[in-house]
Amino acid sequence: MTWIDFPLYSSIIVILWIIGLVFLVVSYKKRAVLKIANLFFVAGWVVIIVFVIKLWIELDRPPMRTLGETRLWYATFLPLIGFVTYIRWKYKWFLAYSFVMASMFLAINYLNPETYSKTLMPALQSPWFIPHVLVYLFSYAVLAASSIVAIKGWYDNYKGNFNIETLKLADNLVYIGFSFLTLGLLFGALWAKEAWGHYWTWDPKEVWAFLTWMGYLIYIHYRYFHAQNSKQALTILALAFVVLLVCWFGVNYLPVANTSVHTYTQY
Amino acid sequence: MSENNIRIHRNLWENPWGYVESFFIGIGIIITGLFLEVFSTSQNAFTLSYPYNTIFLLGYVLVLLVLYKWFTNSQIIRWLTKVPASISSIVLVTILVMIMGIIPQIPSENKLINNLGLNHITSNWAFLLILFQFTTCLGLISIKRILQYKWSNLGFILNHTGLFLALTAGILGTGDLQRLSINTFEGKPSWIATDAQKNKIELPFAFYLKDFLIEEYNPKLALVDNKSGSIAHNDGKNLYLVEKGETYYFNNFEVKIEDFLPNAIRFGMRYEPVNEIGSPPAAKITVKNVENDSIQTSWISSGSFRYPYESLKISEDYSVVMTIPEVKKFSSDIDILTKEGKRINTVLEVNKPYKYKGWKIYQLSYDDKMGKWSNLSILELVKDPWLPLIYIGIFMMIAGAFYMFWMGNKITKN
Repeated sequence: MTWIDFPLYSSIIVILWIIGLVFLVVSYKKRAVLKIANLFFVAGWVVIIVFVIKLWIELDRPPMRTLGETRLWYATFLPLIGFVTYIRWKYKWFLAYSFVMASMFLAINYLNPETYSKTLMPALQSPWFIPHVLVYLFSYAVLAASSIVAIKGWYDNYKGNFNIETLKLADNLVYIGFSFLTLGLLFGALWAKEAWGHYWTWDPKEVWAFLTWMGYLIYIHYRYFHAQNSKQALTILALAFVVLLVCWFGVNYLPVANTSVHTYTQY
Repeated sequence: MSENNIRIHRNLWENPWGYVESFFIGIGIIITGLFLEVFSTSQNAFTLSYPYNTIFLLGYVLVLLVLYKWFTNSQIIRWLTKVPASISSIVLVTILVMIMGIIPQIPSENKLINNLGLNHITSNWAFLLILFQFTTCLGLISIKRILQYKWSNLGFILNHTGLFLALTAGILGTGDLQRLSINTFEGKPSWIATDAQKNKIELPFAFYLKDFLIEEYNPKLALVDNKSGSIAHNDGKNLYLVEKGETYYFNNFEVKIEDFLPNAIRFGMRYEPVNEIGSPPAAKITVKNVENDSIQTSWISSGSFRYPYESLKISEDYSVVMTIPEVKKFSSDIDILTKEGKRINTVLEVNKPYKYKGWKIYQLSYDDKMGKWSNLSILELVKDPWLPLIYIGIFMMIAGAFYMFWMGNKITKN
């Protein structure tokens, strides 16, 4: 079992997941179908686990050293976190998101066979890499969803039929997203200690990740004590997401960018 | 329901203090800090080292306890344990960090930036003072919740107390943090390290570098524009690795790699494998122009610090070049020689530091001009006695994050 078998396995997995996703969409109309969707999701997940285990045995080392292997782990763990979140919070869209993202990573691997063996630069070869990236993937997705809810809230406000339930949904999403964000930040700190010798160096990306964290911290504290001031809360939520976007895409364009360890474009 | 529905008209500084007063105080603190920046003559960052930082932390926590226990009725303490004070300090810390995220934290030509110390925010008095208010709020509410002895406060305490510990220990610990680097050479013992200020420091043990090893990737092939000299395909990303027998396509050129030698030197018309310092990789390639079926065969090489590179010009516009191999992994096989005459062998690698007598030893760097022939390995030694406290804080916050994920927003849910 090596990467040679990957096209076969990944095709099976993605087909199973796509069928699952179709059933998931149908389940919005017919609830009972959801079980069938889950069946396909789990089946696909079992196949990916089989592939990972066999690859691991074949390579005789944890498959965590190359770009292709990293994506394989994303595809493995995204559904797992998706399921745990679904079991706890019953957001179907979130389950769908995790499987779409996982399929996307498999597709990227399928389309770029040359990256199967492309080893990562030394600093990135760490067991912290995958959890660090994974929790951020989830955090950004959930926080983005909270912003969509905020936009809906604004629109409703404008129309004059604002329902406080909208804001409560946003609250819950922010809490989930913020917990992932905290984990991402702290995993990053623990990794940095192993790789660079210090857990926090105020690297530009770290600064903006910290700012994102503070932005949502303001929202959470504001909501906690001013449950009725919905407009201000929505504004804070929107601003926090702007900071998140700067952290995600914008840092490379700021005057501070060239001092960052998070720019890997040359690799 | 909330104070919003019943608007109470009250004057500024009347009980209890709200947002206006909070920001008033917070901005006042920042302005005070900036004044200190402008008028203080000391160039050095303010740090405390052992035992003063330990005394400071213990004293600080003690004062917070005393304040909470016996002075809760005072205006200031009541204000510090309420939300407006927390939110204003979070916002103001955020603003100062945002300045750090925009203005590069390096020596500046700009007078305003220099005078206000905006290029060294982390040691700026304004930042330190507002952070002090932030941690004071955090400390007081931590004490408040802990002393309530309720299980429902668990998540709150993990998050707030964890952050308090990580922050205070992190800031106070900088005074005791030691980061040294040491150059070690193959076959020689080294025990003189240098700190950030280039001071020489003698270590109580020595490093003997037995072997420094670099693993490299194969070099890559690239199509280069003859005029601009820049890479002319795939935007310079995902270049092809040079491997014997592979065929790649660039625009309308078919490039076949006939032979690849990781270490080679030119002898007349061809390259021969050698085992010599500075011998670069070389490959024999055949390039076929699909349009007119013309074929060229030649050797190319990435070159090294000792030998020039060789490329192949395949048309008026383009050449095929070999890139310098990238590093896959580097490691140092070292012995630590102790004063007692013991030898401790270990292999250092990026992401795999070694712990010895309170030091963490890292593989930092090497002579990149020499690349895989480097006899020099640069190690870093870090001693951070405050780390356990910081880790307790971090792990409390991690536990708090899991708690938060699981509980969600239970407060506004009902």
